[in-house]
Amino acid sequence: MRYLLIPLLLLLTSCFKEPLYHSQSYVFGTLVDISIYGESDELARQHADHILQDFQSLHNRFHAWKPISATQLSELGELNAAFQAGKQVPISPDLASILADATTLSVKSNGLFNPAIGQLIGTWGFQHDEFSPIDIDDAKIQALVKAKPAMTDIVIKGKIAYSTNPAVKLDLGGYAKGYALDIAAAYLRQQHVKDALINIGGNIIALGQHGDKPWRVGIQHPRSPTAIATLDLADGWAIGTSGDYQRYFMLNGKRYCHIIDPRTGYPTQHTQAVTVLVPPSKNSGVLSDVTSKPIFIESPENRLKTAQAFGIENFMVIDAQSNIFVSKQMAQKLHWVTTGVKFTTLP
Amino acid sequence: MLNLRHSLKRLNPKLLTKYLFIGDWLIVIASLIGVFFLFQTLWSNESAAKVQITVGDKIYATYSLNQQREIHIHGKLGDTVISISQGKARFAKSPCHTQYCVHQGWLTHAGQAAICLPNQVSLELLGETKPYDSLNY
Repeated sequence: MRYLLIPLLLLLTSCFKEPLYHSQSYVFGTLVDISIYGESDELARQHADHILQDFQSLHNRFHAWKPISATQLSELGELNAAFQAGKQVPISPDLASILADATTLSVKSNGLFNPAIGQLIGTWGFQHDEFSPIDIDDAKIQALVKAKPAMTDIVIKGKIAYSTNPAVKLDLGGYAKGYALDIAAAYLRQQHVKDALINIGGNIIALGQHGDKPWRVGIQHPRSPTAIATLDLADGWAIGTSGDYQRYFMLNGKRYCHIIDPRTGYPTQHTQAVTVLVPPSKNSGVLSDVTSKPIFIESPENRLKTAQAFGIENFMVIDAQSNIFVSKQMAQKLHWVTTGVKFTTLP
Repeated sequence: MLNLRHSLKRLNPKLLTKYLFIGDWLIVIASLIGVFFLFQTLWSNESAAKVQITVGDKIYATYSLNQQREIHIHGKLGDTVISISQGKARFAKSPCHTQYCVHQGWLTHAGQAAICLPNQVSLELLGETKPYDSLNY
């Protein structure tokens, strides 16, 4: 009998240990979670380390407020200093193409996605690792809105950049994580890694699948420490959420989140969360990061139009009263975690 | 091979009834019932059995939820206190400014997670199966 048992046990243990490598680290001031399936642990670790080094370098170069050292600004910091002083500044090719792409997306969003409002974000106290309620300086906020900093104020000529508006201060907080996802996905594909899942602070991109099943992701409930729904993320798809629960402060019972409406200069207060699901493309990571913002900020009656402007067919909105709105395509993909969830399907 | 054939022969049902007494059968039936109930109670993704604590990029430890315990962890900023109490876990104290992690409250179901970004400590409740591979937030 024991001659039967030993091979049987070996077979069982080999079934339970699946070839899944998983790592977790802190970059971009948030959690980076990398899963790689079907590679040896050693190779997967090397790939993950490479990706994390790339992320750390992007973080240092494009940080909106942290200098590299006491005497040296980040690459983005140098740009911002020059813009404010009305000076010309050398710009690296990849940052130039990031700014060109972000400008196109900003125009498409009617300026609701606006990485040029770094000063407003700073005024609200969100350009700190640790933030607390501020004394709202309405006069300053109104002045910053009136100065109309816009991505289209930035001029790039070859290797030189300048701004025609000194109020422009770049903060790539709504772009960089998505960009990093695209970089990581391109790297893994180039290394012939078929199956991986990369999560940067909640923005996720999928490559291939988890063994014989698709990768499955949970969508965070905006008001409780649990998933509200799950969905399968197919090869090349990306998912992103903008929420009022990750960076916010409470003041006199009101919630002030980091997603600021550039038209008013005030945090958006009519929405708790917007989730977008983006089909495979070269920049699906960027689109998953960027497109949730204008849908979040736009007034409820114009949300659908904003999503359509970006060709986003799969999205979910949870408003301040916790009403759930789901696009028709998205409704077919969601699996609610609890039964009896009430939601409205958008046409 | 001889041994294998010999073993298989011993599993012959006729021989089994010959060698097994009523008491043996009672034990077999009782074990089957036991397995069935254990399966019912444990094989559900609802209840969580363990909490996994991660500090920075390392898994710090995994604790059973079936106990009353306070765990003190030294994170990036300072000391975080995690409470475990009868099937649930939470951040009880944290040196961070925002206290989001503490406000998350008790985690009770497998797959639930809470993160303290400033102190780089995270909790995840583990069950028999993982409800998803990663969380979008």
